[in-house]
Amino acid sequence: MSRKFTLLFLSLVLTLPLFAGCQKEAEVIKIGLEGPMTGDYAYEGQGFEKAVRLLVDQTNAAGGLLGRQIELVIEDDAGDPAQAALVAQRLVDAEVVAVIGAYNSTATEPASEIYNDAGLFHITPSSTATGLTQKGFQRFFRVCFLDDRQGLFAAKFIDGVLNAKNIGILHDNSTYAQGLADHTKRYAEELGLNVVFYDAINPDDQDFSPILTNIGAAELDAIYFTGYHAQGGLLLKQSGELGLDLTWVMGNASNNPEMVQIAGLANAAGTYITTEPLPKDVDYPEAKKFVADFEAEYAMSPDSVWWMMAAEAFNVIRYAIEQTESTDSQVLAEFLHNEAKNLNGITGPILGWDEKGDRLGTIHVAYIINESGEFIMNPQQP
Amino acid sequence: MENLLTRLRQVNPLRWQLGLIALAVLLPLPLGNYYRSVLWRTGLYIMLGLSLNIIVGYAGLFQLGHAAFYALGAYTAALLNLYLDVPLLLTLPASIIVAALFGYLITRPILHLQGDYLCIVTIAFGEVVRLVLVNNLFGITGGANGLSGIDRPALFGLDWRQPIYHYYLMLIFLVITIFIVQRLEHSRLGRAWMYVREDEVAAEAMGVDTTRVKLLAFVLGSGWAGLVGALYAGKITVISPDMSKFMESVIMFCIVVLGGTGSIPGIFVGTLGMITLPELFRPLKAWRDAWLGFAMVTMMILRPEGLWPSRRVRLEMRGAKEVSLPTPAMDD
Repeated sequence: MSRKFTLLFLSLVLTLPLFAGCQKEAEVIKIGLEGPMTGDYAYEGQGFEKAVRLLVDQTNAAGGLLGRQIELVIEDDAGDPAQAALVAQRLVDAEVVAVIGAYNSTATEPASEIYNDAGLFHITPSSTATGLTQKGFQRFFRVCFLDDRQGLFAAKFIDGVLNAKNIGILHDNSTYAQGLADHTKRYAEELGLNVVFYDAINPDDQDFSPILTNIGAAELDAIYFTGYHAQGGLLLKQSGELGLDLTWVMGNASNNPEMVQIAGLANAAGTYITTEPLPKDVDYPEAKKFVADFEAEYAMSPDSVWWMMAAEAFNVIRYAIEQTESTDSQVLAEFLHNEAKNLNGITGPILGWDEKGDRLGTIHVAYIINESGEFIMNPQQP
Repeated sequence: MENLLTRLRQVNPLRWQLGLIALAVLLPLPLGNYYRSVLWRTGLYIMLGLSLNIIVGYAGLFQLGHAAFYALGAYTAALLNLYLDVPLLLTLPASIIVAALFGYLITRPILHLQGDYLCIVTIAFGEVVRLVLVNNLFGITGGANGLSGIDRPALFGLDWRQPIYHYYLMLIFLVITIFIVQRLEHSRLGRAWMYVREDEVAAEAMGVDTTRVKLLAFVLGSGWAGLVGALYAGKITVISPDMSKFMESVIMFCIVVLGGTGSIPGIFVGTLGMITLPELFRPLKAWRDAWLGFAMVTMMILRPEGLWPSRRVRLEMRGAKEVSLPTPAMDD
């Protein structure tokens, strides 16, 4: 008796997924989101989820895409390449039509190979390592810019606007910051600047007085820090406390109002930031609406530029599916390569993509933190 | 249960060992690529656990920096492959040698340390390796970006992008590992390790060269972790200094402790608990980590000897008398 019951129960339970599968399959469009929901980069990954979730819900409330609802499949890679390879496989098995992710280049690298093998349409919001688009993957795109574009912009800004001669570059040994620092150094030297100081801090450090003393002794006209805002804030604070008279320029990873809070108003004022334009300065109604909706939904502003990029990636996927009326990855990829031009992105104009999948053009601008701690566009741009 | 175990012991070991291997060979066939990758990862950590078990389980030494040797092996393989174009499988011996050499160099001066002092030094070594790699040693380790574009193993013209071939490659090494570890356990050296673990002074008095056997435990364990690192690099093709993270070492240590120190089946159970189950429970998100903490605390209270401990460790922890077992049937 009990064995029969067990058998019956087991067979019911085991076949249940089959029924569940039949009903939904045809209706929803599954879109994958891979990012670091836990681990060191959880702040960014969870922001990805917030930004994309908001747009998915809006799209679904407005009747969905091609009349079908969107289902967001979220996978956590913790920023680790081994886990990225696993979750990429999970997304492939979940039969998503497109993937947004991953956050860091080391995680995107193994995942992109799996997506490519499976023929998926894949956009990374934030992985800027040059090598990713050098493999000839036809269905892989970026909505962020390569490190070297911002590096070029920063070098031009420091040279042309700040008229600096002897400059310093400081990174935090993270994947991203180091890449940006290297490119900036190369371009700055090409422009004839003297990079007299080039060094790194460790990502978990809190006390920077030793390195700041070295920076102070180097007599720099400007110092460019390419790392993240938490340490950027501490650097500003401690350099102010040491009484150093430095011209700080920050990369876009420090583009976060929290930096002003950490540094204190007096220390932060006058700091320059090279970054993608803030949503409030992007003229398109799409951008303003996204920020307003985000603030209404989560009672916080989309602080990280990478969250904006994740939302941008979703918008690009949605736009491509709408325009082609197809969810075939090959069709979508060809559309982006050939036809998608001059879109109103929430991070600025999207000119299009080159044959490798890199976003064309550059949108970087320089900001300055004013006396009341606001980020305003610097009157002079290179 | 007890009855079943006794009966199992009477079966010719070769038979169930071959049975297990056959099962391991057939297991991935009906599964999808995701589950094959999970199996591969499980096998990798079993090997890491077994290598750490030599140090922690057999010789009874603390090692909370094991991930450093795993990372050293991976970097050795990657550097040889990227800069000198050595095929990945040929880099394996170099990975073993480099990791073993560092195992020797690091532990030689600190062997007289015991308990927590040794533990702290090993933690420090793990961090040193990570920071050296992050700071782009000689400009060749790629800094925080790590190294990417490592070749996959090339053998028999197979498509090595398929996880299943990596699984079988791993399986071959796993079987070799288990064979070696089991032989070691019952060898003169293995006995000496256990002597040292139980009572170092007594061991020395009995003529065991404690420094030499402890050093051998570190060198063998570290070298084997290096091999696993190279296998990892061959599948994932990207490596970063995060491989030498403290958390990674902690996970390896937990595998050994959770499963049962000094026991080969214990390492399997430990890996299942630390790696495989959390992976399969992925949809539960943050609860996965909570589960690990919960499992560790419960274990330490209820079963401090581990889930499947070696008989000796269990008896030592429980203080019970050794029960004599029926002698296994030698042959049919």
